[in-house]
Amino acid sequence: MWKRNRSWLWPTIFILPAVILFGVVIVWSSLQSLWISLHQWDGLGPKVWVGIDNYRELFRDPQFFTALKNNVIWLVMFMLAPPLGLAIALLVNQKIAGMRFAKSLFFTPLVLASVAVGVVFTWVYTPRFGLLALAYSAFGAEAPALLSDPDLVTFAIVGAALWPQIAFCMILYLAGLNNLSEELIGAGRVDGAKGWDMLRHVVLPQLKEVTFIAIAITAIGALRSFDMISVMTQGGPFGSSSVLAYEMYEQSIFSYRFGYGAAIAAVLFVIMLVFIGWYLSRIMRAEDLR
Amino acid sequence: MTRRHFSRRGALKLGAGLTASALATPAFAQSRSLRIINDTNAGEERDGFIEVVEGFQEESGVEVDLSFIDHEAHKTAIRNYLVADAPDICFWFSGNRMRTFVERDLFLDITDFVQEQGYPDVLGGVISAVTINDRQWGLPLNGTLWGNWYLSNVFDEMGLTPPEDWDGMMAFVDQTKGMGLVPMTLGTKELWPAAGLFDQFSLRTVGLETHMALMNGEIAYTDPQLAPIFEHWEEMINAGAFLENHTSFTWQEAAALLGRREAAMINLGPFVNSAIPDADKKFLTYTPFPKIADIPRFEDFSTDSVHIPARAENPEVAKEFLEYYYRPENLMKTIGPAGAVPPRNDVPAGDNPLVNQAVEALRSVEGTAQYYDRDTNPDMAQAGLNGFQEFMVRPERRDQILQRLEQTRQRIYGDI
Repeated sequence: MWKRNRSWLWPTIFILPAVILFGVVIVWSSLQSLWISLHQWDGLGPKVWVGIDNYRELFRDPQFFTALKNNVIWLVMFMLAPPLGLAIALLVNQKIAGMRFAKSLFFTPLVLASVAVGVVFTWVYTPRFGLLALAYSAFGAEAPALLSDPDLVTFAIVGAALWPQIAFCMILYLAGLNNLSEELIGAGRVDGAKGWDMLRHVVLPQLKEVTFIAIAITAIGALRSFDMISVMTQGGPFGSSSVLAYEMYEQSIFSYRFGYGAAIAAVLFVIMLVFIGWYLSRIMRAEDLR
Repeated sequence: MTRRHFSRRGALKLGAGLTASALATPAFAQSRSLRIINDTNAGEERDGFIEVVEGFQEESGVEVDLSFIDHEAHKTAIRNYLVADAPDICFWFSGNRMRTFVERDLFLDITDFVQEQGYPDVLGGVISAVTINDRQWGLPLNGTLWGNWYLSNVFDEMGLTPPEDWDGMMAFVDQTKGMGLVPMTLGTKELWPAAGLFDQFSLRTVGLETHMALMNGEIAYTDPQLAPIFEHWEEMINAGAFLENHTSFTWQEAAALLGRREAAMINLGPFVNSAIPDADKKFLTYTPFPKIADIPRFEDFSTDSVHIPARAENPEVAKEFLEYYYRPENLMKTIGPAGAVPPRNDVPAGDNPLVNQAVEALRSVEGTAQYYDRDTNPDMAQAGLNGFQEFMVRPERRDQILQRLEQTRQRIYGDI
């Protein structure tokens, strides 16, 4: 009996704990969230069924569109991370004395908690006392108060968040560069490829998989952005740097509107689904090809 | 599908279930134990509280399990633990924030205990902070009197005097700006300091009754009778009275400008002393916000409080602890250091000048509010805090902002 079924029984047993955990923590919570978004609920008392009223209010709320716009800014700006990461990876991948040290310098932000990065950048941006203010005043100019400017504040936060993200992409590309096929490069050299041509036609095609992972993770990271905003501006000034994830937190935790917060979460989930779906379909296809 | 396979799967599921329940330790009710959750941030108050708990353990033989939570994190944690895993003693804010839990039967009614101990006699009017429907739901701890603060040594050096009325205030703004000082330093990064200013203008122009009606959602934010609040406020904003880019600063960073001789005043509570250099601490002086309309003096005087959750396992032991903690000498161990006013009037006068200044000032106050975000519904408060911050940056948007706040008010409180 046992012997006959062994081929599929073992994998099932090994995968079951993960499935149960994922089912309870992720799938069930997500469904519960969607259910809550159809209610008016303060997180303590009884839930009152309101159907799609939360969504109706959401699409009438200018603050929601501010947050959505900021999410788009995050997404677009964050796409700078993969190319910059690649550039730095190519730079530090050369066999020159002292490169190890340079590598570890670029690697530093990855080991910092993003909250710490946020706090440090807040200090840099602080008017009057901050590093930026000091640098400007050295030239007799006055630094812009980046975190107080409703139009610039999101760019200032993304700038801070890019620092660890670029380092992350750099690590991915460094790993990719170590796996390049020497034969192909040698063949390229024989054909007279140098510099830019070599990079474009020989190196980059071999880094395709890495690039895909870097872009996907960066996109999802941009949509998940929350901690930096919470630490640096708390969505301010007056909500102009808020994103969907922060809006959800603020509405649920500070305003006691769990139903409304869940509705925001649902919208964010749908946006994320686009990227996650694209990511998964690529992974599946890659597996089928093997 | 074989039977064996079935039972194996079942065994696995059972195993998962067992570990899950093992994580949540079963609470065996012991007869003489006490669980306390305290949200005091590190410092002397915290050490004082540990001392109190140790003293209580010695006196009563009760086993106390004390845990500290970060003050901000506690604001969210309390909603979970009051429902799911209640301690026997917890700390919160009185007023509307207390009402949130009282209305949901999450705090224990301790009226009988309060009367037995004779607390009403020593608390006087302060007891109203923990009273809803003539019942007491907690004990008031430290009172924070809000107002303007300055360094008297800096004022002496510069020949400045604190303004007492509106004309004096505007003259003070011009005078200090002429000296290259920020007349009133301010940090609204965390939003709430802007609401403190709203309270000041409101209590000085429309008075306490109208202010509280607004807090309770009984007056529209667009009501013309509120106009003087925003007119005076705007006059000060346009005169450049406040720190530029205040949305980039926390209150601590803003208060640091006092010590750096770059600002004249700040509008906060006595806890501002934690951001003043040691050498200047003794010069920190309170002055009421200047008089505007010809009405009695009202102030923000906010009170924190200690409560017994309704679902506490050892409410009787908790009352024993409260009795011990509420003795004047023990109470002062935890509320003395921050310059807060003791709730009991039988506490001997200490040597803390901040406390004594506040006690003195309170004698001439006709009535008190708590603070904007403690007096009104939390959902309303969040919208208000954002609105006031925006108003201070873009006063020309006053009408749109008030329109938005009124929509929020209607959603929460309904039509008037």
